[in-house]
Amino acid sequence: MERETETVKEFLTDLVVPHHRCNVNIIPDHITMLHGPKIKKQHSRKRRTHKSSTLNRREYAELGLNTLPTRQMRYEQALPLHRLWRGYMREHLDLEEGDELPQVHEKRYEEFSRQLVKMDLHGAKLRVMQSKCSTLVGLNGICVMETKNVLKLLGEDHKVRTVPKSECVFGMHVGNMEFTIFGQHLNVRPAERSVKKIKGYVEPFM
Amino acid sequence: MANNNNKSKQKLLTQRHVMSRMNFLYQAGNLMAHSKQNTLAAYYCKLGRNVGTKSLMHMSPAVKRTLCKCCAIPLLPGINTTLKLEEKQQQQQQSEKQKHNHNLAATNSSKRRRRHRQRKRCSAEAKADAAAAAPAPAPSGLATSGVLDEHARMQLECVLCGAHRRFVIDAQNECWPERSAAIIQVVTLDRPTQTLMSTNVEND
Repeated sequence: MERETETVKEFLTDLVVPHHRCNVNIIPDHITMLHGPKIKKQHSRKRRTHKSSTLNRREYAELGLNTLPTRQMRYEQALPLHRLWRGYMREHLDLEEGDELPQVHEKRYEEFSRQLVKMDLHGAKLRVMQSKCSTLVGLNGICVMETKNVLKLLGEDHKVRTVPKSECVFGMHVGNMEFTIFGQHLNVRPAERSVKKIKGYVEPFM
Repeated sequence: MANNNNKSKQKLLTQRHVMSRMNFLYQAGNLMAHSKQNTLAAYYCKLGRNVGTKSLMHMSPAVKRTLCKCCAIPLLPGINTTLKLEEKQQQQQQSEKQKHNHNLAATNSSKRRRRHRQRKRCSAEAKADAAAAAPAPAPSGLATSGVLDEHARMQLECVLCGAHRRFVIDAQNECWPERSAAIIQVVTLDRPTQTLMSTNVEND
């Protein structure tokens, strides 16, 4: 404190014209010093550059999460998924053991078919009944992946096959019930399908 | 939920299908993670999360936290995730251990128990009757026994994308699958039994 007041006095007397310097009288009580050095700029937590916690599309693809290897998965590995799916399907469609499916002329048919299309297909055993492309007809397997336009079916020969939706009619066989689903209804992104409204008609395509 | 009873009922009906779908996808993801199909596990869980965002429904936080923030793979320590004590805390703990040398054994055993609990939480559906048969270890008992690593920081590292998740051990905390309210029905499939959880869905 002493030294600082000295420097201040020196500084002030330097400013005065030389022949008046002897008259300068500085009362030390009048000097107020600001304490502390200059505060270091603190890096607040918000400002710290923060690695984004989510992956962007490119990073996601680099991890190989968009591609499914063709020949890695065994058919047996998908069977528990199929069992799980059967339970889910019963819950989703409100089916009990021995329930009858609604016929076309019944009232609840429309509601039922709407729910059928909204159902999740991962783990379903699907078969291609009809198709524009004749080589696709008769393919069957457990659906393991779904995108907007394509289903990936894991066949019994442990091979993943890609089947376009819009060109095909899929058949599903659960217990004693048979379902037929037109692929055109399914042409929605899987995440949106349970929310989006679905057209009631199908454009004829054969 | 909406305040109006009628409205909430309607909403419940429309959202029920979404809820069951999310539940199914979460379970499918866990199933795939157990059979080491990381791509599919991440895909299913991510899809489940997306279905939630599209239909404006939330997973309950306890369930949400079992998924990786980054790639949405279910975090199963020992299968696709490494679980470890954080470095700083470890040093502190060591000094503490030197002080309380006699408590060392207790710490270790409790840690093991904690780890066991962690694993159990993640594989709740896979282990069929685990939830039904073995009641969750009494959290109050753990807390009162003077656990040394009660507030230790643990770190989960996802092997797939390298993301970290930190958490502080809290014996009072109960995970959603451990609660009895989480199990709505036990469904027996062809061979393995499976526990169906009422998912994750909370509507604010």
